[in-house]
Amino acid sequence: MSTASLPLSPRRRRFLPFLFGGPALLGLTLFLVLPFLMALGLTFTDQRLVSPEPGSVVGLRNYERLLSVSYLVQTPQPDAAGQPTYTRLRAITRTDPAYRGYRPLTQFYLGQRRVTILAKDPAFLQALGNTFLFALLVVPLQCALALALALLVNAGLKGQTVFRAIYFSPVVMSMVIVSVVWAFLFDKDLGLFNQALSAISFGLFKPIDWLGNSSAAMPAVVIMSAWQGAGFQMLILLAGLQGISQELYDAARIDGANPWQRFRYITLPGLRHTITFVLIVTTIAALGLFTQVDVMTGGGPRGATTTVMFEAVQRGVREENISYGATISVVYFVLITLVILLQQMLGRRRAKVV
Amino acid sequence: MPEWHSRIAALALCAVLWSCGPARKAERRTDLILWKNQAGLDEEDATREMIARFNAAQSKWRVVAQSLPQGGYDQSIVAASLADRMPCIVAVDSPMVASYAWAGHVRPLDGYVARATLDQVSRAAVGRYAGKVYAVGQFDAALAIFTRKSSLAETRTRVPTLDRPWTLIEFQTFLERLKASGRHRYPLDLATRDDKASWWTYAFSPMLQSFGGDLIDRRSMRSAEGTLNGAAARRFGSWFQALFEKGLVNRKEPDESAFVKGRAAVVYTGGWWAPDYRRYAGDDLAILPPPDFGTGVVIGGGSWQWAISKHCAHPEGAGSFINFLLQPSEVAAMSDRTGNVPVTAAGAARSRDFNPDGKSRIFYELMERFARARPATPAFAVVSNAFTFAMRDIMDGKDVADALDDAVDDIDGTIADNPALASGGGE
Repeated sequence: MSTASLPLSPRRRRFLPFLFGGPALLGLTLFLVLPFLMALGLTFTDQRLVSPEPGSVVGLRNYERLLSVSYLVQTPQPDAAGQPTYTRLRAITRTDPAYRGYRPLTQFYLGQRRVTILAKDPAFLQALGNTFLFALLVVPLQCALALALALLVNAGLKGQTVFRAIYFSPVVMSMVIVSVVWAFLFDKDLGLFNQALSAISFGLFKPIDWLGNSSAAMPAVVIMSAWQGAGFQMLILLAGLQGISQELYDAARIDGANPWQRFRYITLPGLRHTITFVLIVTTIAALGLFTQVDVMTGGGPRGATTTVMFEAVQRGVREENISYGATISVVYFVLITLVILLQQMLGRRRAKVV
Repeated sequence: MPEWHSRIAALALCAVLWSCGPARKAERRTDLILWKNQAGLDEEDATREMIARFNAAQSKWRVVAQSLPQGGYDQSIVAASLADRMPCIVAVDSPMVASYAWAGHVRPLDGYVARATLDQVSRAAVGRYAGKVYAVGQFDAALAIFTRKSSLAETRTRVPTLDRPWTLIEFQTFLERLKASGRHRYPLDLATRDDKASWWTYAFSPMLQSFGGDLIDRRSMRSAEGTLNGAAARRFGSWFQALFEKGLVNRKEPDESAFVKGRAAVVYTGGWWAPDYRRYAGDDLAILPPPDFGTGVVIGGGSWQWAISKHCAHPEGAGSFINFLLQPSEVAAMSDRTGNVPVTAAGAARSRDFNPDGKSRIFYELMERFARARPATPAFAVVSNAFTFAMRDIMDGKDVADALDDAVDDIDGTIADNPALASGGGE
């Protein structure tokens, strides 16, 4: 065809991608890049969300408050009964100018001495830890669940279309509704989970306060999130599964490969790119955790389920300190970018080795 | 075209023109746009009817109401104000009045609403900031203790009155006897399942005040040091923490109906639940004043209030609307329709439910005697959030003094960064 070989000068050819990408690039610039640059600008000010006064430039103060970390070593003074006691931390941090603005993040003992790690915003650091913990727990669980479901509905069993729809249905439900329902299921005294667990263990199981216990709350959010999201990954993996040639399985069967070997040496390699994609998408979604936490736990108990996005909304919108909220977002952006760059670097190196 | 087609077309045209006729005449009125939060169906209907009555009562103004979802109401107001697209009349939640006044979204009511009218209104229903009145409510709400008369009798507990409310010890003994009876896993419901800062501040800062503390030093609105973390506040925090430790309160009830379903014997909540509770307990229902924790009973005051926006081109029209809705007949009509507490004595007297013999009179008495508005400071969002997080952490076992000190640091730090937040001075 003549149009396919339209003579284009090299200069024009260079221009062409921008022409086609233009509309999308315009949208991205307008709604993503520009707001981000504005947020970056905000981080150097003390702008508030509702204020008759324009914010003033405060330099790096927001970053300094967000990231400052320090430590304090205390030696015990024996009290009247001879027990070692330590001066109350707030009594030091609220009076000693060197520690002004710091709060305890975590504590440990070196012999008799008590070491406290202090931070100016321990809530943010805790939220950061929680978010990465959530991603670490939910990504393998959700992807494994999705893969299992995909294999199940692809196995040629009866009624698999119905099950495909059923497994996918949580994805189309609003996250807020799912969270409210699961909060009922997780209830300590009346919730389905505790009642079921106690029934099948003949009352031996002690009811867990899923959302009210600091060590159970995050796993509870993880389980619920994996259940809600797995259907989406299942669909992508299903598409990947159906792209694997049936001939390979037939050949393997003739060669005497058992089901595990077929899965290990045909399915998994055949899904490699799909799995990589699914892992990345799930990680990105996991790092943005907000709705479940906001609805089910409100970040509690005692900060056990706060996440970075939750902190950003809390500070930036609910406390109206928009410049600080923007700082949280920018720092988080930089951290995630670093993680992704690292991941890509490792991936490239491995590709070279292979 | 057959003849009957054109005849129908002509008829239709006539109908359209005729129906436009009266409307066009009404265009001589000036439209006043009104924004309000989407509330319950009764309140929506009552407001619509009130506006219709106002529009019918005079020929100069026409109020056009628009309801906005409550979730994003605040953001809508801020966005509209920044874009100079504010409506004329706005409903404002009472703790936000100071913030809106400070930010210049609303203007003082001076000169638009008669001082004599405002003087009739219960104190907590008037939104003041920096010595000026910016908003006024047509109704308020009241917090109370709901329980069954039979529960009081079984535990041999004195029935508290408005003049002689329970002391802390009486209240505590009542709860512990209920717990000991074994019939209630958690005898008291404090509605802590609602984790919004608005509820926690509305419900529990009055208790803090009754103990002798406060959210912030109201004389200066500059610092919370000593008021939110003083000895009284620490006593309040320890008591609150112990409620959960001793299993007297469930940190999160699975639903809102612990009392109606018989799980809880006592509930501390607002008068808006009274209809459900009456249906459930009938004559056995006891509506009681909250306990006096040391410095007198305190309940939260101030509900949604009406204000005139800064950009309103016809503030006198908005003023006449506000004057209209504060008439005793309008106040009474709104309260009888919605169950909200009337804010004027004359309105209460004309009301079916809130007159001295009415079934809901107790809520009017509670509001009139004990309601105190939340601190009128543009820093309220920070104050409320800091208090709520401290109380939630205390509920979950954090050291009381540490939690309160942290809340004070959050509040004082924000005001130190933005001294303008305290520029309105004290109450």
